[in-house]
Order: sequence, then C-alpha cells, then structure tokens
Amino acid sequence: MEFGALKTLNDLTIELKEKEIVSVIGPNGAGKTTLFNVISGLYKPTSGSVKLGTEEMLGLSPAAINRAGIARTFQNVRLFLNMSVLENVMSATFGRTRSGLFSSALGLKRSRKEEAEVKEKAQELLKFFGTRLTGYRWDQPAFSLSYANRRRLEIARALATDPKVLLLDEPAAGMNPKETQEITEIVGSLRAERGLTVLIIEHDMHVVEGVSDRVVALDYGVKIAEGDFDHVATHPDVVEAYLGKGSTATK
Amino acid sequence: MSNLRIGTDEWVAQHEERLASQSPLNKLFARIPLWAKWGSFFVIAFVFGAFSDNQYLLRVGVNLALFLMLSYGLNIVVGYAGILDLGYVAFYGFGAYGYALLSSEQLGQHWPTYITVPFITILTAILGYLISLPSRRLFGDYLAIVTLFFGQVFVQLVLASDNITFPWADDYVDITAGSNGIPGLDTFNFFGFIFDDIKDYYWLLMVSVLILTIAIHRVSATRIGRAWRTVREDALVSEVMGVSVNRVKTIAFVAGATIAGFAGTIFAGMQTSVFINGFDLPLMIMIYAAVILGGSGSLAGALIGATIMTILPELLRVPNYGAILFFVALTLTFFVISKKFNRFLIYVALIILIGFAFQLAMKAIGVTQANAEDWMVGLTGDLLKNWLFVPENRILWGNFAFILLLTLIAFFSIAKPIWKQVLLPFIGFTAIFLWEVRLIADVSTTRQLIIGAMLVVLMILRPQGLFGQTRVEIL
Repeated sequence: MEFGALKTLNDLTIELKEKEIVSVIGPNGAGKTTLFNVISGLYKPTSGSVKLGTEEMLGLSPAAINRAGIARTFQNVRLFLNMSVLENVMSATFGRTRSGLFSSALGLKRSRKEEAEVKEKAQELLKFFGTRLTGYRWDQPAFSLSYANRRRLEIARALATDPKVLLLDEPAAGMNPKETQEITEIVGSLRAERGLTVLIIEHDMHVVEGVSDRVVALDYGVKIAEGDFDHVATHPDVVEAYLGKGSTATK
Repeated sequence: MSNLRIGTDEWVAQHEERLASQSPLNKLFARIPLWAKWGSFFVIAFVFGAFSDNQYLLRVGVNLALFLMLSYGLNIVVGYAGILDLGYVAFYGFGAYGYALLSSEQLGQHWPTYITVPFITILTAILGYLISLPSRRLFGDYLAIVTLFFGQVFVQLVLASDNITFPWADDYVDITAGSNGIPGLDTFNFFGFIFDDIKDYYWLLMVSVLILTIAIHRVSATRIGRAWRTVREDALVSEVMGVSVNRVKTIAFVAGATIAGFAGTIFAGMQTSVFINGFDLPLMIMIYAAVILGGSGSLAGALIGATIMTILPELLRVPNYGAILFFVALTLTFFVISKKFNRFLIYVALIILIGFAFQLAMKAIGVTQANAEDWMVGLTGDLLKNWLFVPENRILWGNFAFILLLTLIAFFSIAKPIWKQVLLPFIGFTAIFLWEVRLIADVSTTRQLIIGAMLVVLMILRPQGLFGQTRVEIL
C-alpha cells in the first residue's frame, strides 16, 4: 500500500484461520491501522488482494465488505456521539435488515416486526458487557459515556453487523488493569461464544499474551516476526523495534 | 454526594438526582404523550377549518400548510441526512410549473387532476434522483454550491424557455412564458369535485400534512431514519458499519424533492397562476430559516419554525402589533445589556433626555416638523407625539438615521466599555427615531427586519434552534 512515495505496507501477507485470534503488534507508524483500513475497504491498495475465504474483497465498498462479514472498531473510538447507546448498536444492523422507506412509513407489520427484532438484538448485545450498558443507559446519548464504556459500545456496535471476522484496533488502549483484564476475557469469549475470527492490534502485551493464538509483528510496513507470543516477544528484531538496540529482552 | 455504592460509578449513582432536578415545567411537558402534543396542533387546525369562513385566515392556514410541507421536506434533507441543499426550492417550482403546463392554455393541455398531480409528483422525484447523482461525492460547502447552481439553472431555464428555437423548426416556441408567468390554470378537479373554494384546498392540505407527519415520524424512528442520522454523524464510519451511504442519502434527497413537488402542484392549483420569481432564493431562505429556527433534525421543530415564520409576518402587518413587538424587543435588549435595573433606568432616562434635546435642536435650526397625523401609526405614535420630533422630509431623515444607527452599532461593537455605555442611549434613541419616522410606515421592510433580527438573536442565544438538540461534534 503506497501513499505517493511512502510505502506504508510493503509486501505484506497475513493469513487468518477460522476462529483464530491473531494479534498484530509493532511500534506506532508501523502500518497496523493502515492494514485495517485496507482490509475494511477504506483504502484501496496499490497492489495486492484481500480475500475472505475465496471471495475477493478488493474494490468492494466498505459497506459491501461489512455485509460479507468483516467488522472493525476504530483506534480513536468513533461512535455516533449524538445518538443514544441503543441506537448506535441498532444502526449497525442496517446491512442485515430490509425495511425500506415505504414499509416504514406505512407502518407495515413486516417493518414493525423487524424493528422489534433489531431492538431486541441490540439489547442482547449490550448485555454482553454486564450491567454497564444496560437499563436506562440505553437511551443516554453516546457522548455521555465514559471512555471505557465508549470502547465497549464500539465493540457492541461492530458485533451488531453479524460479522465472521472482527478487527479490533487497540481495544485496551487507555484502560486500567481491571478493565484490560475484562477486555481480554471478552475477546476470548468472542471466539468461544460467537465463533468469531479476531484480528487485534494491541500495544499492551498482557492482552496480547492472554488472548493470541498467533502474533504478527510489523515495523515500517514489513512483517518482522510471526509465531506464538513467546517466539515473537523474544525475537531480536521485535525487541529492537520496541526497545532500541542494546537492551535486554524483558517481559 | 448521594448514595454512592461500591461497584457502581458516580454518574450512575446520581441518576435519581438528575431526574428529580429537572424543572417541573419540563417534567410536565414530558408527561404529555407525543400524540397529544401533535394532536393539539391538528385539532386546532381542523376545528378552525370546520367552523370558520374567514377568507383571510383560511388563506393564512393554506400558506402555513404549504410552508409546513416544504419545511418537512427540507428537514429530511438537511436535518435528518445532513445534505446541504440550497436549491431545494426548485423542486417546489418544478411541481408548480409542471402542473401549470398540464393544466392551462400555455401548451393547450388540460389533463385531469387525478393524473396530473401524481404524474408531476413522480416526475419531481425522478428529477430529485437525477440531481442527487452528481452530489454523491460532494460534502458541505461544495454540495451547497452545486445544489445552489441547480436551483438557479431551474430559474434561468424557465425564464429563457419562452423563446426556444429548436434546430428543426423555423419559428421559436414559448414553453414557459418566461417572466410573464402562466395565469389561468385549472383549479383542482377530482372526479367532478371542483376545488372552487379556498376551504377545499385547506382541507386537502391539512390532511396531507397530517399524513406526512405520521409517515415521517415513523420513518425517522426506524431503520432508514437511523441510517440518516448515522450518515449525518459520521458518514465514513456509517459505511463501515454496513450502511449504504449513497443509497440512504439519495432516499432522503428524493423524499424531500417529492414532498416539495407535491406541494408545488397544490400551490399552482390553488393560485391558478405561477410566476417564477416565487420559486427563487428569497423563499429558499425563508424555508431554511423555519427549519433552523425550529431546530434542524426535529419534526416538531419544523412545525414550530414554519408556524412562526408564517404567522409572524401576518401579525406584523398590523402596525400595532409591530410596534408592540419592536418596543418590547428594544426594552428587553436594553434590559439584558444593562444587567442591573438601576442602570437600565438610567439609560431610559438618558434616552428621554436625548429625545427632548433633539427636539429643541431641530426647532432651533428650523427644520419643519411633519404633521402629527402623517406619522402617527399605531398606539406608540400616540404616546410619542409630544416627545419625538419627526421632520417633514421623513424619507431623507429616515435614511440618515439608518446609516447613523449602523455606524453607532459598528462603533459600539469595537468600543471600550466606557464608551459603550455612552453610545448606548444614542443607539436607543436613533432606533426609536428610525422606527417611528420610517419603518413603522414601511411595513414590508419592517417585517423582514424584525424577523431577521429575531433570528439573529435566537441563533446567538440558542444555536440549536427551539427544538434542536445540542450536538456534540468532533472537529
């Protein structure tokens, strides 16, 4: 993926197996979010391809890619701030529902039924996070949520699109240890309870360690290491990228 | 602060407190069910329609309903989907001219109403679709300019289409009668029921508005409405969450255009004539004012905004009401600026002094005074005739006063606080002088000024409009 003369991703190949949890690590600027943007269709790579199973995702609109089964969250939490918590989640079901302008306007039974189903589905998804986003919280505008709750809501919203693959961009950023632990558990249960394949960008090694089947390390758009956590964490190139030359490897 | 418990965060714990601290008026208002609030408007409208024969008031009601439909439509485009369409009024004009061309001697066509109205409405929808296509990749200012352009293209096309020479013809064709407009349109005629009284149109419009209100409310609360809101919030993220942004924007655009087209046909049938200058920017600005005043993105807001923008100019036709409004507004402004009641009284006293001083000065110079009957309009004229010196050459002095007032206000805005206090009584006096000498007699200018001033003040005090939500935006 090139931006003019800048090669952000250089000859990068990443493969995910079904129901695998893979972490992508690397210093800032390594191209991790660019990778996500390419996969979710926000950038069109100058060369290469993105395949979901055998289907080619390259060139499809982000909405089409989402409907095919790839969902993502954003590094800097982009919620629909002026909409309520419940509406944020409900709005993401657009690609899976069908009521059009006329059936909604006429109040047809089909449309009412779908609306009730969407509401229930959203409430179920929010219950996934315990009691934090339930009850009267449903009708609060999203801008009134605390940072941690906003991150959780983002995940709930992404889940509402019924994905097969979930891309989480730094889900534990800015969280205290207890919240980080929660996130780790949640990511695990995403695979266990929902059978999702998850690709996570993370800086917090506790999360990476606790959650990944496999870790991929990027630096300057190039894959510098791949394997399980222990292998990557002690890999000399990775240590150099994170800690600089002449340091000893520490956990 | 309140019952803080381990495990619940403070914001959650204070929920009860927050509920209790809402103003009682708010709480009372919130307890009235939605249909009752809307219902009251329609009940008044229907009762009025059933029992009144006042032609003037019925005409106001019809204008209100038409304006309301336009506000609804624009609210969908701008308020719900966030598409800045400055050429919206062209759809209204298209609907009206479309009806005119099919129901007059202009092209010799006299189609039956039950065909014309649906046909033109659907045609307007198609036009809306076509215009939405180039707007797909544009945002914000660029979209505004392109839609403004389309609106102007419509106006120019109509103006020029009285003189079109097709390549294969020898002589020119007059399609739209250009700036002359098309008079003598057939009034509505549904299967023999002829709309010959304004009341017939009143009922048609009020019922249409009722149906539209229900339909739009439903759409707004469900899938498409949510999709519109997400597009307005963050179109990029919306797309990533599976919303076909282009399709959803088009739906909003076409829905708005259709409503305007439909309203246009009714307008043409009722007026039995169309003139292109009624479908240009001045009306566009009024519709925008109504939507923004009421609160962009709120259906109730569109209703209130349209009502105020229609009723207020009518109220202001009566000089008494205008005068009351002016002096109340002036008093309020001074009250707010003074902050302390004592200071307010001092300003009033100074203004009175300046008035007498002005009178003496004018008499000393020998300026002829106007006859009292000439300028005493409304009850304020009565009260002021001994204090205010109104020169004979009112227009000249009025214009001077206007320029002086603007200059004083300009200086006021950049003056140091001490000078602000000195300027204020002079500004007050000049405003009163200008009002009595010029504006109160010049009704149409006054109305626009008052409405304009009201809008400016409202936008400063409550930028989200009357019913709008305060929106949080990340820039």
